[in-house]
Amino acid sequence: MTTQTAHARTARQRPPRRIMDARWSVLLGIVFVWCLAPFFWLVMTSFKRGDRALNDPDLFQGPFGLDNYIAVLGQGFLLNMRNSLVVATMTTVVCTIIGALAAYAIARLPLKRRVLWLSGVLAASLFPPVSLVPPLYEVWRSIGLLNTWEGLYVSYVSFSLPLTIFILTTFFAAIPSELEEAAKIDGATPLQAFRKVILPLAGPGLFSAAIITFVTSWNEFLLASTFAPRNAEVAQTVPVAIAAFTGAVEFQRPIGTITAASVMVTIPMVILALVLQRRIVSGLTAGAVKG
Amino acid sequence: MKQQNTAGRLLAAAAVATAVSVVAGCTPAPADNAEEGEIVWAIGGPRSQPGGAHLSIAELWNEENPDTPVRVEALPEAADGAREQQALVLQAGGSEFDVLGLDVIWTGEYVENDWIVSLEDVRADLEGVTLPGPMESSSWGGELWAAPLNTNAGILYYRTDLVDEAPRTWTELCAAAESIAAEEGMDGFIGQGARYEGFVVNWLELFWSAGGDLYNSDQSEVVFDVDLATEVTEFIAESVDDGCFAPGYNTAMEEESRIAFQSGDAAFMRNWPGPYALIADDSESPANGVTGVAPLPSFTGEPGVSAIGGFNNAVSAFSERQDIAKDFVVWAATSVEVQTILAEDAVLPVHVPLYDEFADDPVMQQLGEILQDAKPRPAAPQWAEISLEMQRTLFEAANGQMSARDAAEQMRTFLEGTLNG
Amino acid sequence: MPNDTSTMHGGSARRSPEANSRLRAPARWRGISETALARLFLAPSITVMVLVVVFPILYALVTSLNAYTRRQREGFAGLDNYVEVLSSGVFWQALSFTAVFTVTSVGLEFIIGLGFALIMNRALRGRGIVRATILIPWIIPTVMAGQMWAFMFNITPGSINGLLGLGDFNWLGQSGWAAGTVIIADVWKTAPFAALLLLAGLQTIPSEMYESAKVDGATSIQRFWYITLPLLRPAILVALLFRTVDALRVYDLPEVMTGGAFGTESLSMLVQQYIVETPDPGVGSALSTLTFMLVLAIGVIFVRAIGSHLVFGERSR
Repeated sequence: MTTQTAHARTARQRPPRRIMDARWSVLLGIVFVWCLAPFFWLVMTSFKRGDRALNDPDLFQGPFGLDNYIAVLGQGFLLNMRNSLVVATMTTVVCTIIGALAAYAIARLPLKRRVLWLSGVLAASLFPPVSLVPPLYEVWRSIGLLNTWEGLYVSYVSFSLPLTIFILTTFFAAIPSELEEAAKIDGATPLQAFRKVILPLAGPGLFSAAIITFVTSWNEFLLASTFAPRNAEVAQTVPVAIAAFTGAVEFQRPIGTITAASVMVTIPMVILALVLQRRIVSGLTAGAVKG
Repeated sequence: MKQQNTAGRLLAAAAVATAVSVVAGCTPAPADNAEEGEIVWAIGGPRSQPGGAHLSIAELWNEENPDTPVRVEALPEAADGAREQQALVLQAGGSEFDVLGLDVIWTGEYVENDWIVSLEDVRADLEGVTLPGPMESSSWGGELWAAPLNTNAGILYYRTDLVDEAPRTWTELCAAAESIAAEEGMDGFIGQGARYEGFVVNWLELFWSAGGDLYNSDQSEVVFDVDLATEVTEFIAESVDDGCFAPGYNTAMEEESRIAFQSGDAAFMRNWPGPYALIADDSESPANGVTGVAPLPSFTGEPGVSAIGGFNNAVSAFSERQDIAKDFVVWAATSVEVQTILAEDAVLPVHVPLYDEFADDPVMQQLGEILQDAKPRPAAPQWAEISLEMQRTLFEAANGQMSARDAAEQMRTFLEGTLNG
Repeated sequence: MPNDTSTMHGGSARRSPEANSRLRAPARWRGISETALARLFLAPSITVMVLVVVFPILYALVTSLNAYTRRQREGFAGLDNYVEVLSSGVFWQALSFTAVFTVTSVGLEFIIGLGFALIMNRALRGRGIVRATILIPWIIPTVMAGQMWAFMFNITPGSINGLLGLGDFNWLGQSGWAAGTVIIADVWKTAPFAALLLLAGLQTIPSEMYESAKVDGATSIQRFWYITLPLLRPAILVALLFRTVDALRVYDLPEVMTGGAFGTESLSMLVQQYIVETPDPGVGSALSTLTFMLVLAIGVIFVRAIGSHLVFGERSR
């Protein structure tokens, strides 16, 4: 059925195709330049060697080399990447699982005052985080969560849950309830209906929520710099480590190591995005509604 | 079929991820957990990074005192970041830090919060051999609370190939800048004109050099002269307009200033001594080999007054080894070896006798003279508020967002308010 | 709907006694009422959020009612801190910048994000590359992106001016342009986030709706206008909601790029100032609470709109 649709679409679009292709290419060109030009600057700068080249506005002003990358790796940056990876993964896994349950309850299960629940969930994340940090620091300190992965991801889960719940609530609500009812008539429990019918159809929503949670916790700075400000061997994350880079001399901006580190952390994220993006647009609901 | 696959994969992925995270989810124990008897020295900046002078100093101490070793805990270079990290620990009464590297403007605040202990009992060891400016910045309420580690002072950089001698007044500087702009197409003067603490320092240097001040000597009275402040602010605004100050002045911090001067865009620069070595190392820079340093210009022809920067070491009130910490901070201030390590790293030492050792180094001599008259910003508990108010009023006025007189009057009212509150 | 459960429960109970006893434990699990299940499903999320944020929020609320001289508490202050905030010019300036920033950046991010989402949804050749490319700006940590843009826009060394041949154009050093520069950086950084949310929303639109519209001869613009936009509404609202509440609390970009100069001081920067820089926890917490109430009020408007667009399980039958 999906293939038929695709055929039908291409067949009907064939006549104006060349014009479409030209416009399409121009559009993609603009998108590429807008998204990548600053990134290109980042990459070029990261390969520059020495103070003089680094501060030259000319992108192609050498000399070039791997010095910045070697310097970054020499500062234990791989440990920071490990910390960020663990914290972001844990946040994503926990947040997606418990957020999916909550969203299902709000979207599908008999629950009074759904809008109030949604508002409450949202409200919990709206206080300016900077004023929550001092009391939270005291609590984390007294229960020994400072400088730990747990201290970071427990708070990240809490701050990421609202978005996950909202995305998934809209997703679950968009799935025709006939599917679920049919499953229930076949003898499935609500839990089974959730697992076997709803979750698979909500794939795009789950993966979007997961990507967003992962990237947000990977990039988080305020809490990370408060709860684990130092020591890559323990829990200091990538953004905090990059912010702690210094030049050779006071006030010298370590632009070379900053750009090199930024490029280094972007690469695994791009790979992750390449892998996960397929999931966002694959679980098309359309075919399933009828099937 | 397909759905179940997706669901299965989802669940499997979740299960694997959970398993991995549970195994991996416990933070590894810190490798360098405070050793028994270790003194932790929490101080920021590049010198606390691997290979930096602070580590060499700690190493030297540890050789001499193997039973009470010192470990450097590197804080961020940004002063706000370093202060916040110290404040979080101290506010919670934490004993993680024994020795605190303080920016010269934090003394009063730390005293007021009962975060540091008095060093009045070791004053005799420091007085006389330590520069008076840094000593003043380590004091609050007539008492000594910290031992200076190093100092810093604003100086004028100029190009010996463009002018025969350093301009002594702003009039001379702007005249030179104008002719250099006409002949070489270069910008004039660059300093720290962006809205941050640096602007406050630059403005105060102008104000001090013009004979003004914020408070009287024991900070009991406001002596802020509104007319003079108005003139100083207007001078900045006019200099930006007529091109005596480089067009990037109002967004420049130390680093932008250095880049502008080092790349030959600006003919004059106000900066700390740090960039001197970088320019000397950059053989391709138009300023390489032709950079001179001098006291800041003034409006009168007298040498201008520089603001003091640098670090003072204080002993944490929550430290469990305050005696050793005290020995360490005094040692760091007075040991010739320590102070030489700093001097060799192009940092200005606070140990007066050391400046005689550099008798054949003209730059060091020059700096020694500048430091004689350099002034600290008031190390009052409310300094952060005063500085911010100056940024909100004087910076805006210097950039034509409000009248210079209104800004100066507002500033005077604010300063008067700090005495009552 | 609750009836369904009771029949199912009854169904299993009507089996033979042996089977019933053997199945007792699972039957009770299977027969758990849907209302109870709803509570059970909500419990983990609510627990985590309560544990993490409730104490700090209460703490901030209490703090906002006390008078402080820097870090020292001086006693109960009633609503004095709120009065102080509301009567300070700085607060209203910050509020107006924050409002302008929010409206402009969220508006642009929505339009660009929707464009990105449609492109990501469509791209046939090399769609993986296109999607990854669009996401790159958002992947770079905000603090680093802010430093990068500040460095590129600054007159010294002048990367963007050099590229565009603008000479000494002072992007960050004049009012209006400073805010505009921050907005450009924010739109660049965050449009992909809006795109991702909208892209996910596009997946909920059944493709046969497009097919039947095509059969009826609808043009692609009509299809976008009459099918995509209305059906995308929940996702659009979620995207706008989260972008708006985040933009209202913007901190990193203006802090790193301008330090608040030239009218770019946001509400959160002001909060940060009172909590950290020039500590007065009382005023800082009052500011936070006001910011919170403003953000929440706007958030609730969105939530109600989202609620009215969702077909909840209960109502659907």
